[in-house]
Amino acid sequence: MEYAITADNLVKKYGDLTAVRGVSFKVKKGEIFAFLGPNGAGKTTTIHMLVTLLKPTSGKATVAGHDVVKEPDKVRKKIGIVFQDPSLDRELTAYENMYIHGKIYGLSGDKLKKRIMEMLKFVELEEFKDRQVKFFSGGMQRRLEIARALIHEPEVLFLDEPTIGLDPQTRAHIWEYIKRMKEEHEMTIFLTTHYMDEAEQLADRIAIIDHGKIIAEGTSEELKKLVGNDVIYIRIANGKEGIKCLNADFIRGCKVLPDGRVRLEVVNAAEALPKLFELAQQNGIKILEVTYHRPTLNDVFLYLTGRELREESASGFDMAKIAVRRRYMR
Amino acid sequence: MKAFTTMAYRQIKRFFRARSRVIGMFVNPLMWLIFFGLGWSKVFNFPMASALFGGVDYLSFLAPGITAMTIFNASFIAGISVIWDKQFGFLKEILVAPASRKEAITGRIFGDSIMAVLQGLIILLLTFTIASSLKFSGVLPMILIGFLLAVAFSSFGVSLALRMTSMEGFQMIMSFLMLPLMFLSGAFYPVETMPTWMQYLAYINPLTYAVDAARHVLVNAPATTATASIPGMPTVSLTRFSLTTDIGVLSMLALAFLVVAMISFERATIE
Repeated sequence: MEYAITADNLVKKYGDLTAVRGVSFKVKKGEIFAFLGPNGAGKTTTIHMLVTLLKPTSGKATVAGHDVVKEPDKVRKKIGIVFQDPSLDRELTAYENMYIHGKIYGLSGDKLKKRIMEMLKFVELEEFKDRQVKFFSGGMQRRLEIARALIHEPEVLFLDEPTIGLDPQTRAHIWEYIKRMKEEHEMTIFLTTHYMDEAEQLADRIAIIDHGKIIAEGTSEELKKLVGNDVIYIRIANGKEGIKCLNADFIRGCKVLPDGRVRLEVVNAAEALPKLFELAQQNGIKILEVTYHRPTLNDVFLYLTGRELREESASGFDMAKIAVRRRYMR
Repeated sequence: MKAFTTMAYRQIKRFFRARSRVIGMFVNPLMWLIFFGLGWSKVFNFPMASALFGGVDYLSFLAPGITAMTIFNASFIAGISVIWDKQFGFLKEILVAPASRKEAITGRIFGDSIMAVLQGLIILLLTFTIASSLKFSGVLPMILIGFLLAVAFSSFGVSLALRMTSMEGFQMIMSFLMLPLMFLSGAFYPVETMPTWMQYLAYINPLTYAVDAARHVLVNAPATTATASIPGMPTVSLTRFSLTTDIGVLSMLALAFLVVAMISFERATIE
């Protein structure tokens, strides 16, 4: 099997801080591979190492068959990147941004013009081609960046949080483009996201990353099997015994969450709920609130880390990283 | 060559896009030329005053200095666009491109330099209307001198900007350096009559050589040098160094700063 990306124990340290602590994975050709994790988990740092912008502190990585440290130029020729933060020249028009990119990547003349128009059409921006980028909405800028990353027909496309901060309609559009790129061009796509639905919709395989380490990897079905069962969350009145787990044959797993809820795993939630109420009554436990659902990637994350993916915002680690970065640049 | 020409093209394109900046760049030198120049030219309007300025009127003495100063200002300030690129992310796009970084940064510096020289030229053409002893034949050599100066200072500006994160920081350093370099260049008054310690500073100021070279090529040297007949009044020559020295120093500086900029950009990361 040929791999488009291999990472072998990649580590990145910023002074005392370790942003990425030994990440290893392999991405097959033509596959969409997603890094799913909260902000500050090390996703962007990993992408920056793979696209040759950062030197790993240790470890090895190859992209499109070339070592990212030893042959950065060969890697750069074969990849396209959409960064998390905008990287367009706002003073120039959409067409000029595309033109400059194409020129630097070695295209020219009619071929370049044709490619630019094709790609602008692909992201439905051709009627805005002569407008300065500073007048573009966030979604339009994102689409233009995707078009730009594709001009030179890269073998591997890196997308760092491709739909962060975009409205649902634009997100759906961008997902559509990503799916088409894979289907029509058999492109390998590596994307990072902290949206479960995005990883689930797009990725053939998902690696869940937290605190700079991959904690699980597989298809979304495989990952959900880690949790396996339906999940019931209950909130119970804090009686004299405090909040604790319930025991019965039909309960496969039980965990008290930091927010005071109890998380129960059962084979079939619809059948288990009546039994649960009965059990609670027998034990004198008052149930205040019940929710249940089929396992999602969020449950997987919760199962693995004890925290929820969606509630994660800029963590202390994130802030520390920003502070370190500022210090380095001075 | 592709990264070189593309980046030069981009800098020139961007320059014309920012119209307010284009206008803004002319205001400063015109202030010096009109208010400072015309103001003092009436003070130095007495007979023999030309002895102080190498035998020409004050405006003809000042004009080459203002041209060099315009190019110096415009090229130095161009470095700030590197900080813009950092903040708006375009720098990353260049850093991951499969192109020679040395070429890309040289293209950028040359693009900025071309625009700086163009601004200097426009100011120079305006000075022809008020200064009487300038020669048109000096315009072409002035372009070369101006270009060397512009390459030196836009390289310096770019190298500085690559080490900075904030526009404010860059602007602070710039305003800290700008006035001393201008006053120590002999653009406004001759180097020869400066206090000795100031003269030493003037000799290590790159701008001094550009101003000197500009006077060499632009000013019609008078046939007979006026000598001061007023007791205690100095007689000052129009130029201080030979044109060869001026161009030699400027070329060396341009090359040195360009190499520094190349190395800085080669090492640039996004950390």
